[in-house]
Amino acid sequence: MVLQFFAIYRLVLRHQITRGRALLVAAISAGGILIGAAVLRNVSDPTDAAVNFVFVLGLGLTIPVVSLMLGSRAMGEWYDDETLVYVWLRPVPRSIIALAAIAAALSISIPANLVPMVATVLAAGETGGGVLTGTMAATTLVTIPYTAVFVVLGITVKRPLAFGLIYVFIWEFFISRGAEGAARLSINSYGSTILSNATGIPLTFADRAEWATTAIPAAVTIIAIVLGTLRLQRMEVA
Amino acid sequence: MTAAPHPGSAAPPPPPAGNRVVAQGVSKSFGSLVAVSEVSFALGPGITALLGPNGAGKSTLLRVLCGLSIPTTGTVTVVGGNPRVDPAARSQIGLVPQQDGIFERDLVGDFVRMAAVLSNVPNPDNAVAEALDSVQLDPKLDRPLGTYSKGMRQRAKIAAALVHDPLVLFLDEPLNGLDPKQRRSMTTLFHDLGEAGRTVVVSSHVLDEVERFGSNVLVIARGRLAAQGDFRAIRALMNDQPLRFKIDCTETRQVAAALIANDVASGVRIHGDKIELTTTNASEFRSAVAPLCQSLGARLHEMTPLDEDLESVFRYLVA
Repeated sequence: MVLQFFAIYRLVLRHQITRGRALLVAAISAGGILIGAAVLRNVSDPTDAAVNFVFVLGLGLTIPVVSLMLGSRAMGEWYDDETLVYVWLRPVPRSIIALAAIAAALSISIPANLVPMVATVLAAGETGGGVLTGTMAATTLVTIPYTAVFVVLGITVKRPLAFGLIYVFIWEFFISRGAEGAARLSINSYGSTILSNATGIPLTFADRAEWATTAIPAAVTIIAIVLGTLRLQRMEVA
Repeated sequence: MTAAPHPGSAAPPPPPAGNRVVAQGVSKSFGSLVAVSEVSFALGPGITALLGPNGAGKSTLLRVLCGLSIPTTGTVTVVGGNPRVDPAARSQIGLVPQQDGIFERDLVGDFVRMAAVLSNVPNPDNAVAEALDSVQLDPKLDRPLGTYSKGMRQRAKIAAALVHDPLVLFLDEPLNGLDPKQRRSMTTLFHDLGEAGRTVVVSSHVLDEVERFGSNVLVIARGRLAAQGDFRAIRALMNDQPLRFKIDCTETRQVAAALIANDVASGVRIHGDKIELTTTNASEFRSAVAPLCQSLGARLHEMTPLDEDLESVFRYLVA
């Protein structure tokens, strides 16, 4: 099973790292650096501005969008171009397929999200006061459940990008930032809490219990793995 | 790989016989469209052609047999297990799917090796080398599969289906995109696998192709199993379709009259020195025609069946 896991893991990696995606991640990183350099250095409280930048644009938008773009293609590409059959028909436990695909997607989405966020903070010149460590921890902790959820979305619906973007923009970016109840059901609020706790800067609805900031994202990831396994067991393969 | 096509390899013990693929009352619907309806059959070792016009339900049936698709009703077992839920059953299946999709960024060696590793082949490197050799692909090709011709991709898919030496092979239009030389070579390979005791199911709508695979057929028409078995035996059972023969002989008028008078033929037509006739009893006709010619002093040069070929059988079945 270990060999099977790594065979699928490597397969996903080979097909995830494309020139287009590398350019996209590079563009997001460059954008972060530019914004960090141009905007955050000219504000009166650069620490507060850097944290709010990571909170609004990072945790609220770019991290879920990048996770969506990478996660939904991990198995979604096989689903769309009908190559899933070459993996599905082999005597591999479905949980191993789901686990390997999510692990491979995370191997790309974590650095793809960390690099621009860290670059932005560094460009703003704000590395002390828990800004850098808080940014890294929050980014990593929300990237994991987002990616896992979007990997499953990729084999569940025909247009995962469209569905994912609707979810990110409507739920994660708007609704969850406007209502306490909705925030509890949003992944990014747990990352926001970590960032807020690390820096001491209050952020909107970033007041989840400390245990929940790791337990809830972990639970979401486990649920995604289980749902991915069930989906692979029950799906019709072209 | 331990199948026959590898010269020089030690002869493996023959795989257990018996029915390896069993479909019982299998139906598959997509909404109101019934793609496969109440299909039942059992297949043992050897090569069987799954025959039917485009859209007859062949690919859907193959997907159900592999476990890729859930039958609406009925059951499928492959080597004693349900391939949808039983990894042991899936480990004995090799599939060449009809669709062109393939991991385009992979090298052929990576693609076939991954198939071997996922199937728990103990020595994947040897298995990959043998599988690629059997389809005449160079394992050292360093171009990604996406740059291959359709024929090369098709052979890569066949190699991946063979690499774990499965007992059951489902090949959906496997000769698509191959040139005539490759078609001959792959036909021989499939034959050898059938001879070596594998159960090989080859789907095709090209009758010439199917005839080369052998005489055992499953004919699917409009989602139903129209016939199963040796197509010549199927033809002999078609009492509603009189058999047509052509006789090349002398004294055509006397011979034709005698065939009708003796109830050997149900209808005759004379074309110069040849007689075209219909009969409802082929075996009686075959045994009667030579003595009859002899008794009339006529010389019988040749007797040819006109509609015992697969194309005729197929036409009658799906009409």
